[in-house]
Amino acid sequence: MHSSFPCHRQKRSVTRRDFLWELGGGLGGVALAAMLNEAHAATNPLAPKAGHHPAKAKAVIQIFCPGGLSHIDTWDYKPELANRQGKPFDPDGKLQFFASKPGACQQSYWPFRQHGQCGRWMSELFPKLAQRVDDIAFIHSMQSKSALHGPAMFMANSGFILPGFPSMGAWVTYGLGSVSEDLPAFVVLPDPRGLPPGGVINWGAGFLPAIHQGTTLNTDPEQPPIADLFPQKDFAHLRGVAEQSSRDFLQTLNRAHAAERTANTELEARIAAYELAARLQLSAPSATDLRGETDATKKLYALDHEDIGPFGRQCLLARRLVERGVRFVQIFCGAENTGAKKIRPNWDSHEDIVRDHGYWGPVLDTGAAALLADLKSRGLLDSTLVICTSEFGRQPGAQGKGRDHNPGAFTAWMAGGGIQGGTAYGSTDDLGFKAAENPAYCYDLHATALHLLGLDHEKLSFYNNGIARRLTDVHGHVIKEIIA
Amino acid sequence: MKRLFLALFSLFPSVACAVDFERDIRPLLAKHCVECHGENKQSSELRLDAKGFALKGGYDGPVIVASKADNSPLYQRISSENKDLRMPPEGDGLTSEQISLVKAWIDAGAIWPEGDADIAAANDKRRQHWSVQPVADKAVLATALGTTPEQLSIDAFIAAKLNEQGLAMSPEVDRRTLIRRLSFDLHGLPPAPERVEDFVIASDPKAYVKLVDELLASPHYGERWARHWLDIAHYADTHGFERDQLRPNAWRYRDYVIESLNADKPYDQFLREQIAGDVFAPVDAKAVTATGFLAAGPWDFVGQVETKSDMLKRAARAGDLDDMVTQVITSTMGITINCARCHDHKLDPITQEEYYSLWSVFAGVKRGDREVNAAESRRIATEKALLTKTLAQKRAEIAKLAGEGFELAKLLPEQSGIDVRNGAITKDKLAYHRDIQVNRLQKVEDVPGVKWVFVPDGNGKVTVDFKTEVKGVPATSGHFWDTIANRPLNAQKHSKLGDTDFSTKGHTMLAMHANGGITFDLAKLREQSGLQAMRLTGLLGCGATDGAAATRADFTVFVDTELKFQKLELRKDEAAVLDVEVPATAKTLTLIATDGGDGIGSDLLFIGDPKLSAEAGDKRITEPDAAILKQLRTEAKKLEADLKALPEPEKVYAIVSEEKPPVIRVQRRGNPEDEAQEVTPAAFSWAKHGSSAFGDNSMPEAQRRLALANWITHPDNPLTARVIVNRLWHHHFGQGLVTTPSDFGLGGDKPSHPELLDFLARELIRSGWSLKKMHKLIVMSAAYRQASTTANGKASALDAQNRLLWRQNPRRLDAESLHDAVLAVSGKLNTQRGGPGFKDFNYTEAYAPIYDYMTPDTPELWRRSIYRFVVRTTPHRFMTTLDCPDPANLTPARMQTTTALQALTLSNNDFMLRQARYLATRIENEAADTPARIRRAFELCFQHPPTASELQAAQTLVTEQGLFALCRMLMNANEFVYLD
Repeated sequence: MHSSFPCHRQKRSVTRRDFLWELGGGLGGVALAAMLNEAHAATNPLAPKAGHHPAKAKAVIQIFCPGGLSHIDTWDYKPELANRQGKPFDPDGKLQFFASKPGACQQSYWPFRQHGQCGRWMSELFPKLAQRVDDIAFIHSMQSKSALHGPAMFMANSGFILPGFPSMGAWVTYGLGSVSEDLPAFVVLPDPRGLPPGGVINWGAGFLPAIHQGTTLNTDPEQPPIADLFPQKDFAHLRGVAEQSSRDFLQTLNRAHAAERTANTELEARIAAYELAARLQLSAPSATDLRGETDATKKLYALDHEDIGPFGRQCLLARRLVERGVRFVQIFCGAENTGAKKIRPNWDSHEDIVRDHGYWGPVLDTGAAALLADLKSRGLLDSTLVICTSEFGRQPGAQGKGRDHNPGAFTAWMAGGGIQGGTAYGSTDDLGFKAAENPAYCYDLHATALHLLGLDHEKLSFYNNGIARRLTDVHGHVIKEIIA
Repeated sequence: MKRLFLALFSLFPSVACAVDFERDIRPLLAKHCVECHGENKQSSELRLDAKGFALKGGYDGPVIVASKADNSPLYQRISSENKDLRMPPEGDGLTSEQISLVKAWIDAGAIWPEGDADIAAANDKRRQHWSVQPVADKAVLATALGTTPEQLSIDAFIAAKLNEQGLAMSPEVDRRTLIRRLSFDLHGLPPAPERVEDFVIASDPKAYVKLVDELLASPHYGERWARHWLDIAHYADTHGFERDQLRPNAWRYRDYVIESLNADKPYDQFLREQIAGDVFAPVDAKAVTATGFLAAGPWDFVGQVETKSDMLKRAARAGDLDDMVTQVITSTMGITINCARCHDHKLDPITQEEYYSLWSVFAGVKRGDREVNAAESRRIATEKALLTKTLAQKRAEIAKLAGEGFELAKLLPEQSGIDVRNGAITKDKLAYHRDIQVNRLQKVEDVPGVKWVFVPDGNGKVTVDFKTEVKGVPATSGHFWDTIANRPLNAQKHSKLGDTDFSTKGHTMLAMHANGGITFDLAKLREQSGLQAMRLTGLLGCGATDGAAATRADFTVFVDTELKFQKLELRKDEAAVLDVEVPATAKTLTLIATDGGDGIGSDLLFIGDPKLSAEAGDKRITEPDAAILKQLRTEAKKLEADLKALPEPEKVYAIVSEEKPPVIRVQRRGNPEDEAQEVTPAAFSWAKHGSSAFGDNSMPEAQRRLALANWITHPDNPLTARVIVNRLWHHHFGQGLVTTPSDFGLGGDKPSHPELLDFLARELIRSGWSLKKMHKLIVMSAAYRQASTTANGKASALDAQNRLLWRQNPRRLDAESLHDAVLAVSGKLNTQRGGPGFKDFNYTEAYAPIYDYMTPDTPELWRRSIYRFVVRTTPHRFMTTLDCPDPANLTPARMQTTTALQALTLSNNDFMLRQARYLATRIENEAADTPARIRRAFELCFQHPPTASELQAAQTLVTEQGLFALCRMLMNANEFVYLD
């Protein structure tokens, strides 16, 4: 199939798969090529795989707003709450929220208005997203099984309230593999302020092979985009020619070693991994180098704005990654582990909704709206599913100037990638306290996203400790109502 | 009655001649119901395909009430007018004739003669599964193999299976490969080059067995194999979840595992101690420490403690109990029980009720720190109380005589603080706390002179004496940070005001982060000091960084209920002089730190040299008094030293139990808010080796765990011995005889060599449950010693997975072995054993603590990875990249991936590069010239000298790039990370 010249240095232009083929030829014989082909399938779990049915979306960008975004003040219009403003929310005093007894009914702190062709309601906290409402499909009846940040984060990301289960991005790369030759398939862009509640478990591979875990991309422009991409500190000089001769030496050793151990196919995969690493050193910095972006784009994402800029940068990076074939990008809009104190470091607004949502609103609004507009203008929105969600909502009964956790109702939205914009699914009761019509869980959101990616959530499974596990556990249905 | 019966018959003539179940009803059920309510699917947990299930009913209870069709949900649903309720849900439903048949059948008593199908369905095939059958005895095994019990051996079983396929084992591997394989297997470390040479040239026919004995006797053995056990215990040193706090005492359990393995503690005893050691050996510190096993997994502080919602607490507790029972049963018996949380296990013989019966075994158990030696702890506490009291007396006498005033800070115990939430004394530094009940006066029992502490908030009613409300306390957030203490607090940057550092010798300080209040009992202080009318003096300031200058804090002093001093909105860079009159008649003195209305961040208030002194001024000291004073001061000093010398009571993160556990009920579909019938402590009813019902709900907590421990370790338990020998096999061969080491159920793998598995289980029990004897038996076998690199086309074709073991399996080093091997090769491995884990991160207290990893580049961070302080939410990136699993999961077998990120990590990570540099320095010192240095490097890394071509390539590289480049690449080589 390819040249049978043994053990030559790999040419720059060949792909990873070609490389393996070539190497197979080099080691000689049809049997070996067949074996390596098998080895490739066995040892490269990221080889692109066909889904269960034709896909509408090729990639996913998920914006996660940790802390609990208040649906009542943003996406879910509740006029009845205004009518009951100041009246006791729980006259019998029977309810106990996560951290408080409910106070009086509290209407949205921001007025709502209808927008777009579809005429859907959104609050004034999100003026820019409001202009994109015709691209967005809301799920107003989302619920969570926990009112605690840690378990609810795990549930939103992995379908289970306990840690240890694979995240959605991991499931997607497990199901579909990677189409990017030289970037990871699942990339996470954490808030520069720190990790979200529950930490890196949120994008872990759980019991799936670790290769499916999210790779965090450093969002600090001063740092290399991927940890250990290049030697640091005392060893920062290790670049260029010196590296090439070291690498040649290593691969010479490795090939001689592998030649005596033809039965161990992992050895070839590991040789290939070092070649891919070398390519990653070129591709990752170019993916994160924003110098080539136009001023208009930089302005769209408000890169120069002190508070909004970092999130704008995350959104812009997400677009660049998707352009380069990354399958799943997860952006966090908010952190947990941080020393910042004046404003809550995420959407968890117990003390002061106006102060905290007032801070985060323009951040999300600008970045997410820019992302939708940018994807659309580049013709990428049709093939890119954008998801925006939180781990739960907030209560219509006040907690002082803030609101307590509400696992009974929240809103998530999706756009692009086969979604019918300007639609909505499910609703909450008159006050936004609980999901009323068509209650949904992350299972349904996940099932829908997988469906758009060409995966059947009931078939995508992995055996672990006695059970074929799924992202959607034993639940979930595809929300056809919001699919184009 | 009779008339009615006749009337019915006449109305439905076609049903008149008595309904026949087999003829009329069973086919009807089979056709219309069983698709959703049968063997394969049980909607609403209902089966209608067999008598036992049908009469038992489903999720909502019985569906057939004999003789009462109108009360039978089965009849109600098939006859319902409501489309949403009517069964079957698809199509037009049953015909009225069919409905009448069912009604007549139920009304006639719902007689269901037991047919073959009913008997077959009741005869659960899950109970016929191989792993729950008794372990075969040797005579049976010998007959199967056509030999005698004495002739049985690992190799006999392996060879027999290979023979059947016309295959044979590979030849024995060379000694260099063998010693490398064995060292990594038993120690997780490479052998030293000198030991390799000794072994290679040894002419002693017993050289190998001696090597095996030597390695098994080394403490490195326990350090290696503890890793495997801690994987299935999902051990870590923090709680996990959102507020991932430290477990500073967890390591004692880790050390227990290492020590037990090194001591070759019988495996049954090892298990019994971990489940109930505190019950049967309460005075044995090791047995108590062993119960750290039960607490090893994650725990959600927010759900268990912080939330105010009882429902959330129940949910968190349910997750906690599930984790505990799953861990115990999965690790010891290889059964995956958690499927039975929501419904009867579909694959394995476990009912939902049995699952909850196991909860009831642990219902009285919670995770927490406990003292490992109760008697010793009591002794220390008594002594401490006595010393403290005596010291207080001495200090009071000194103060009286010298008239020099009374240091307020010295009232508090050294290096401890008072927790303002509950008045308890703690050595711990605390962090962000919300959701506290404010303005509650909390009595302080253990500090004479302090009445109480509280979290003040002027939004509510503040009192300093339970009665009269005081005015003037500012409104606050009601949150608090650390204790009230006489040392710097958590996150306090300094204790300097002006040029004076109040934490140094000759000064005292009282640190009070907002929001906190403390009330002193003036009568007690007068008693201790001999003073009457007094003045409180000191310097008030803040110990935060300059960067926090913008935030404000307040400080208020009350004498009785009168506000005597207040400094509002104190900046971080200013100080205030405190000088308050305290009249002889006053009863209380209260100091209050509040947050200035902008949150508690950086509100690190403290008072330098807080002192109560006599209002009357100086007092001359007579000469006799001076002598007494000197004596008193000497005595006080000694007491202080004695106090300091008292050891801390040893604690382990393990279990805290309550004698009378709550009653557990089955939770429908695993929902804690939907409870069904009560259960009692029990295990699985399929067991034939002993009663699986342990007692009723009056059974004390401790006895429940003991009963389970004995039940699990009963020599006739078919699973316990099989599971552990398979785990050993798994780690020696890279895959078990059963390839799912924690799943011996119907969903798991079948053993490749069932007789061999039973032989090993028998041998284990015969050896007195000695794991070391089993290791030896395995590694002495020819099967273990055979080559892994043999190319054998026929064998590959027949058995690509090598289940028959026609060769050894090549293996890649796991993250820990690789990490330890790098240190061993560079010469930097610190072999210090035991004790608290090393922390290769900077730790910052916060609501969710921050773990910030650093390059481990000091000897205390160069210990073996088993001693690493394992953080759950912030895993170690280097280790995770190399497939170190998430300790949220029970990990019976490590997953292995080959990725570009691994290549980057091994070639560019700062730790790797520094170690490569150390290795370069090492070989430079240990050998004289370049060829010798290259040879040394190869021998250290690969256990063999370089070949001619390797030497040549290496020389070229060294000439061009130096020794460092060589060392770096050797530690990246496939040969370094793989075992043949």
